[in-house]
Amino acid sequence: MASDQDLVVETVRDILGSHEPFVLTADRRWDDRLWSALADAGLTGVGLPEEAGGSGGELADAVAIVRTLASGAAAVPVAEQLLVAGPAVIAAGLTLPPVEEPLTFAIAEGVTASQDGDGWTLTGTATGVAWAGAAAHVALLANGPDGEVLALLSADGVPATDAFNLAGEPRGTLTLEGVPAAVAPLNAARTRELRADFALARAVQLGAALERVLTWTVQYAGERHQFGRPLGKFQAIQMELAEMAGEVTAVTAVTDAAVQALAHGSSGVVLAAAAAKVRAGAAVEVVARLAHQVHGAIGFTQEHKLHHLTRRLWSWRDEAGSELVWSRVLAEGLLADGPDGLWPALTRVG
Amino acid sequence: MSNSLTLAPAPRSEAAEQVRAEVREFLAAELAAGTFTTHVDTWLSGVDPAFSKKLGERGWLGMTWPKEYGGHERSAMERYAVTEELLAAGAPVAAHWIADRQSGPNLLAYGTEKQRQEILPRIAAGECFFVIGMSEPDSGSDLASIRTRAARDEAGDWVVNGAKVWTSNAHHSHYGIVLVRTSPSDSANRHAGMSQLLIDLSLPGITINPIRILDGGHHFNEVVFEDVVVPGDMLLGEEGNGWHQVTAELAFERSGPERFLSTYPLVAEFGRRVADSGDPAALVTLGRLSARILALRQMSLRIAAALDRGELPNIPAALVKDVGTTFEADVIEEIRRVVDVLPSLDSPDPLARALAEAQLHQPGFTLRGGTNEILRGIVARGLGLR
Repeated sequence: MASDQDLVVETVRDILGSHEPFVLTADRRWDDRLWSALADAGLTGVGLPEEAGGSGGELADAVAIVRTLASGAAAVPVAEQLLVAGPAVIAAGLTLPPVEEPLTFAIAEGVTASQDGDGWTLTGTATGVAWAGAAAHVALLANGPDGEVLALLSADGVPATDAFNLAGEPRGTLTLEGVPAAVAPLNAARTRELRADFALARAVQLGAALERVLTWTVQYAGERHQFGRPLGKFQAIQMELAEMAGEVTAVTAVTDAAVQALAHGSSGVVLAAAAAKVRAGAAVEVVARLAHQVHGAIGFTQEHKLHHLTRRLWSWRDEAGSELVWSRVLAEGLLADGPDGLWPALTRVG
Repeated sequence: MSNSLTLAPAPRSEAAEQVRAEVREFLAAELAAGTFTTHVDTWLSGVDPAFSKKLGERGWLGMTWPKEYGGHERSAMERYAVTEELLAAGAPVAAHWIADRQSGPNLLAYGTEKQRQEILPRIAAGECFFVIGMSEPDSGSDLASIRTRAARDEAGDWVVNGAKVWTSNAHHSHYGIVLVRTSPSDSANRHAGMSQLLIDLSLPGITINPIRILDGGHHFNEVVFEDVVVPGDMLLGEEGNGWHQVTAELAFERSGPERFLSTYPLVAEFGRRVADSGDPAALVTLGRLSARILALRQMSLRIAAALDRGELPNIPAALVKDVGTTFEADVIEEIRRVVDVLPSLDSPDPLARALAEAQLHQPGFTLRGGTNEILRGIVARGLGLR
């Protein structure tokens, strides 16, 4: 069972090996060469059914790819394409764009879809769009005439502003003035699930990056000597690394459970994803702080690799709904059966 | 991350969900009948032998043990579901808790056939309770420094002298598994020369002195041994193998859901308050606490699944206990920040009572069963730092 996934991960690692992370700038806002290499290897359609134009495989394979890329600070929209936009487009019955062309996802409460003859057009602004200016296609959760819709548009000719998250990843605004799009209606439950899928994608990325930051910090504590011994031999440092390990293990456990819920189509997936996003977001504070503390001044520079992941951690925890947003969703969901329903609800989520 | 910290996800167990439903139904009936009231930290303070006996009658003690010793040959996942439900309800489980959790498994692993036949069925019936004999007045985290000693007399019996402390509910217990020095301490090998004795607490020469905790409750004791003659066949396991055995016992002591659910009854009460008030800040706090509970459940379930695979995951158990007991204490501050309640043990408000109980028990959470500093040292070893 694990061997297929190991092979996928190995392939992604091999490709990543020749694409070192770099400091993103407005001029070089994503890693198009890495994307091409991944697309050439057929990895940008994994987990999406072949009959819809994907490469087949399980959700677990797609998650393994996303995790590997996240821990390598890869500047490509693979999490959006494989875990959110791709599945959403297919589930809504729209035509998946070629998987070699990057597809991103955004929640666009400021965009309205209107019928225009036989087709649809989009008007409004979508803010904080991941990979705006880099992605070829965008799937938007937008407003329709009778509730929310999924809209799929080509980004060709759509201007994107220069706006970036703390890691320099593009998060610009798209201004849409009657842009043609394919549109499908979504019911309220599906809308909730789609938001949860997005949050879970970020939680998966956070989990993988947190794990790698722990690994780097343990390694550094073994290599760096002060007072004649490695940092990792000092009890004070050991306590910090153990605390980091606790946080990382918690995130892995709750995120894996949410991925399982998604894979099984469980009705608890929204609350499981909410828990994963909240827990991962909370772990960032501890893990990033202690990683920088242990790394000392060198970790505070762009010369050292640590910032590639810690800046992403600080960004991703607030994207796709912050801990505030998902804590509320989680608590409301858990109390849905009334004041005495909390414990049964917790055990149902997993 | 080092593999020694990572456990595979727990498979979902239908059998566990079935027994969970049975326990839930039983607890609802007992609560309705008023046979117990919910409290915080009841696996320390909720001693009720009649309740323990009811659990034994229903087959919920000694669940994983062989049937020939009164057990039920069920999975660790099923046992997990039962213990979790009992803790979440704040049920009085303290009488049998230690015996069911660690003394029984210890006897199964190291006991003689006679010891097993005599004692295990009584534990599974909820009729025989145990106390842990590890810490001493001068030996806390440094367990290898214990001084209680046992020497063979001419008849081949053990003569025990010394004192054990923090022995929870010794005054309600029948036996203690007591770590003693059977050879003088050797500075070159501090872990050598210790053994475990199975001691009947009614033997002459044993004095049990109460030690009261912050809320005035009598759970802890000092157990003093003065020339106590313990029959020679009451050695548990091998002479000199005490350190190894006690380490294995600690894996059971540290691995269960009681390491993150001690204050769950407070969370439940807070949840009721939030459901009634709808206060936005309190709702967010409940969500954040719930996310931590859900993560801890998954971590703890992984340990139960590892036990079912026959593993004894010491390092992951230490890690879960560190994270879990930190949570148990954090619950109090998180809730305090969003409710305006004066904690009091005799308040008519159940939230005020639960807060008071939790606060007065809180210092113990991150001390008992190995301080969090000791646990983090074990995790650091798992990370390859020691």
